[in-house]
Amino acid sequence: MVTVLRLTLRQLATRSRLLVLAVLALLPMGFAMMIVWDTSATTVADFETILLSGMLSGTIAPLMVLSVAAVAFGNEIEDRTLANLVLTPLPRWKIVVPKVAGVIAAAAPFVLGSALLVSLIGFNRDPTAMLAVTVAAVAVLVLYACLFTWLGLAIRQAMGVGLLYIVLWEGLFSGYVSGIRYLSVRYYGLAVMHGIDPRRFAEDPHVSLGTALLVMGVTSALLVWRSTARLSAMDVP
Amino acid sequence: MSTSPVIRVDGVSRWFGNVVAVSDVSFEIRPGITGILGPNGAGKTTLLRMMTGLAEVSSGTIRMFGEPVRRNPPLYGRIGVMSEHETVYGRMTGRTFVRTMARLRGVPDSGAATERAIELVDLLDAADLRMDTYSRGMRQRMRLAATLVHEPEVLVLDEPLNGADPRQRYHFQKLLRRLAADGRTVLLSSHILEEVEQLADTVLLVINGKLAASGGFRAIRAALDHRPYHVRILSDDVRRLAGELMRLDCVEAVRLEGGDALVAQSTRVRELQVELPRIASSAGLRLLRVEPLDDSLESVFGYLVER
Repeated sequence: MVTVLRLTLRQLATRSRLLVLAVLALLPMGFAMMIVWDTSATTVADFETILLSGMLSGTIAPLMVLSVAAVAFGNEIEDRTLANLVLTPLPRWKIVVPKVAGVIAAAAPFVLGSALLVSLIGFNRDPTAMLAVTVAAVAVLVLYACLFTWLGLAIRQAMGVGLLYIVLWEGLFSGYVSGIRYLSVRYYGLAVMHGIDPRRFAEDPHVSLGTALLVMGVTSALLVWRSTARLSAMDVP
Repeated sequence: MSTSPVIRVDGVSRWFGNVVAVSDVSFEIRPGITGILGPNGAGKTTLLRMMTGLAEVSSGTIRMFGEPVRRNPPLYGRIGVMSEHETVYGRMTGRTFVRTMARLRGVPDSGAATERAIELVDLLDAADLRMDTYSRGMRQRMRLAATLVHEPEVLVLDEPLNGADPRQRYHFQKLLRRLAADGRTVLLSSHILEEVEQLADTVLLVINGKLAASGGFRAIRAALDHRPYHVRILSDDVRRLAGELMRLDCVEAVRLEGGDALVAQSTRVRELQVELPRIASSAGLRLLRVEPLDDSLESVFGYLVER
């Protein structure tokens, strides 16, 4: 599994991709500073709604993970090197798990770094609030990594479909249709934040911390299982 | 050497929508070198992909060492596959690439195995160069090293000599013969008749997704010897030349094409090659050009299929 992980990191960590990730990671920090300096909009609710929910969890984090995860298998299918991995005695899950781990490892410094610095700016170094944001970012990162890695295996247009999902589902519909929150990564991320620091994140969450973590964990495991099944069943170019 | 079949392909078909890529193909492959010969688009690659478990069959079964090849990762440790696609991990050196492949296949001493494999393909000097700086032939050889690094019992090579120069071809052929002599099963595909003729003990002729012929090369060559050839001849007086040609036993028919060209049909084309200059010289005719019309592999296959 270590060899697959190394190979994945080598493929994912290209200069252009790291540059895109860095730019995306800097965006929420810039917005965080603008919100904090704008005295008319510095309530925790504004900060949470605009930045943590809307931008970081709902847009920037999934975009960062998508830019890495969609190509984890997608590039190998495209350039026909996937056969090198598939024609080995490794059980398929030993290919999928390090691929997902590689995606997480490549995106984590940017997603978590951004989340940490945003919470540092927004919550005046409050350790509980920072912990809440960081744990939520880890959970969101893992779930998005599993989701978009599976998408990259399942369809050829993973990047486009992933973008549509982020903009329409996470960004638009989940904000207006309350039922969709039960199927939105963004809102499960918020539920984790609420669960860890209810003092700061006072808005009533739609699920408890335990439920949120359980749903996110089970969904991630299901997506890894589906990716494994897909890798076993697909025709490899 | 064992003579029991290593690979059994039984009634295999594969279609993509309405397009039939492989149609009801059955054969067995034993240790030694087997060549799959067919024109481009004949279904060779699809057949090889199914035989290595990379693609699903639409119907039929494929077994290797008595086991199904599809969804059987432990079996893949016994196979070495080199696809026709030349894409490699460009930013890797050749040595890193081969070592990575060794580790993925669980080779115990991957370092030593890597050196052995690279030495086999005679590329030790270039092993630390990045693969995107290699020539096409070098890339193919390094890919072959990666295919051989775990010492597979079955080698499946899809158009392996693409891009190889004559020296590399010679080296490659020698290597494959040695592997076959060790008792391994080597399966290679090609669309070049001579390539397979020089290497393979057994030939499978595939055309339009069907197995047109199979067996030893001599038997297939003998079948080809009965095939009529068409030769276009340009001369300064084609009518007179046509008359002279019709007197030859080795010419079955002559057709005037207009202008200064005619087409002669013969099943004894070697005899025609000798007789043509002789009759032209004795009749005082100038031969402007002589060209075979149907020497392509496709026409050879077409003839065999029609039979």
